[in-house]
Amino acid sequence: MEITALSIILALFMLIVLAAGLWVSLSLLAVAIFGLYLSGNDQIGLLFATSSWGASTAWSLTALPMFIWMGEILFRTRLSEDLFKGLSPWLSKLPGKLLHVNILSCGIFAAVSGSSAATAATIGRMTLPELKAQGYSERMAVGTLAGSGTLGLLIPPSIILIVYGVAAEVSIARLFIAGALPGLMLVILFMGYTAVWASFNRDELPRGDERSISLTEKIVALRKLLPIVGLILFVLGSIYGGFTTPTEAAALGVFGALVLALLTGTLSIESFKQSLLGAVRSSCMIGLILVAAHFLTLAMGFLGIPRELAQWIGGLSLNTFELLLYLTVLFVILGCFLDGISVVVLTVAVVLPLIQQANIDLIWFGIYIVLVVELSQITPPVGFNLFVIQALTGKDILYVARAALPFFMLILAAILLISWFPQIVTYLPQTMTRG
Amino acid sequence: MNSIRECFYLSSGYGAGICIILIMLIILAQIVGRMLGFIVPSAEDFSGYCLAAATFLGLAYTFRTGGHIRVTLLIHRLPEKAARVAEALVLLLALGLTSFMSFYSIHLIWESYVFNDVSYGYIPIPLWIPQIPLGVGCVALNIAVLDDFIGMLRGRDPSYLAHEDELKLEES
Repeated sequence: MEITALSIILALFMLIVLAAGLWVSLSLLAVAIFGLYLSGNDQIGLLFATSSWGASTAWSLTALPMFIWMGEILFRTRLSEDLFKGLSPWLSKLPGKLLHVNILSCGIFAAVSGSSAATAATIGRMTLPELKAQGYSERMAVGTLAGSGTLGLLIPPSIILIVYGVAAEVSIARLFIAGALPGLMLVILFMGYTAVWASFNRDELPRGDERSISLTEKIVALRKLLPIVGLILFVLGSIYGGFTTPTEAAALGVFGALVLALLTGTLSIESFKQSLLGAVRSSCMIGLILVAAHFLTLAMGFLGIPRELAQWIGGLSLNTFELLLYLTVLFVILGCFLDGISVVVLTVAVVLPLIQQANIDLIWFGIYIVLVVELSQITPPVGFNLFVIQALTGKDILYVARAALPFFMLILAAILLISWFPQIVTYLPQTMTRG
Repeated sequence: MNSIRECFYLSSGYGAGICIILIMLIILAQIVGRMLGFIVPSAEDFSGYCLAAATFLGLAYTFRTGGHIRVTLLIHRLPEKAARVAEALVLLLALGLTSFMSFYSIHLIWESYVFNDVSYGYIPIPLWIPQIPLGVGCVALNIAVLDDFIGMLRGRDPSYLAHEDELKLEES
């Protein structure tokens, strides 16, 4: 069969099974089987079995359940409360005051958790009721949470960067370190916007409470942050310094999180079991998608679709900017209906040859793709951060999406910034000696 | 009857959980070993096998609790009757696909056994042994899908629906 027709049939088939509500992992499997069948391959089952075995035993993937479990453990501790109490005395002088707690807590929690939905849920559970009680603009409280919750994807450790690293065969350690500066930049953008907004909308902030907080009080509050900051420095420092691989850092991180939960008295047999089962659910879901995606990539390779597509796009002689622009649009559209990990595994097989052909750095592209996925986390109809915040506040999803709109624009600005100044991404990984 | 069923799915979850704990212990042992100057033989192989076991053993539990993601935008908006028909068709397709997975994962174990495949690592391990959880996990998922499909035909709601609207934490 002609390859163009074949590609179109497969793409349509994928759309139909996904829209019908078949599980994403099984949809990928179905498309791969169908494609191989159409091409007359008679070893489909054998290919599936060997590719699944290879994909599910990959050493670098072992970091995935570790980081997920670490987040699940910390989610069940008093961490979010400690973050709130430790940070708020320091931020009371900034315009926007406690709104910044939302952003900074999310940024800090993102450095121990790999998921944006977990970040938004953990922090929002604590901060949203508090901000409401003190009379902050609810829309802004929801918006800052929705926006900065997406930091969980970018600030290392990040589940989605592990997935990308495995799919694109790029060093996960370098990807993690590459995400650090853009993550910080986003935090600054968010805080800057909030401060400016607060200066113009004083009537939507609580007044009073101008009593100054003494330095000793601030320092005492800061002590609450010590355990988590220690854990962050420990995990990320050991990756950056090249002392451990990301997988080893993840195992140490789980151990550290367990110790931290034990010391703060929030670890019980029940919470341990729940955290473990939670980790099983997420890692099995992602694991099966990865297994199916690996098989699909193999099938695509057999059919020659990525190579043909790369040649076709190459023939259009787009410049790098146009290529990225079209890809951004494609990802945002896909992200409206699929979650971030599915978007990455679905597209990487087909898109990577294009990226390599255009001489785009694969680490830079990983960070770029994560930023685009962050956008899709806060766009309706399917955006997991929106779902989480909807569940937390009971507000309807369109309200949350509108509240998050300024932060959507800020992430877009961040994408432009890393395109103009790719060094924001590539500087730190280049200084790494190992990994 | 119900308790045996729940026991089966829960053991799928805990089986995977134990493998995750094993991964942590193997990796920690490797780090400690490096500091004290001994080597944990084939640590990468073993943690890889545990990862495969964790991924596949937990599939049934994850399915049962609505952990596998899908696009529910259309199916949740259909009128009730049509939604049930669509759900049954999706389950039938899933049944076919998981049967395919079960058949060929068992086939893989069988072939590794017949051809005496061993791992390349420091300790040669007959590959069929770590491949067993793959087969077991696929069959368990197959049973879970079949269970819900039969329930659907008898007019019960599938198990995963109850959890799909809940707040999910680790989507991405």
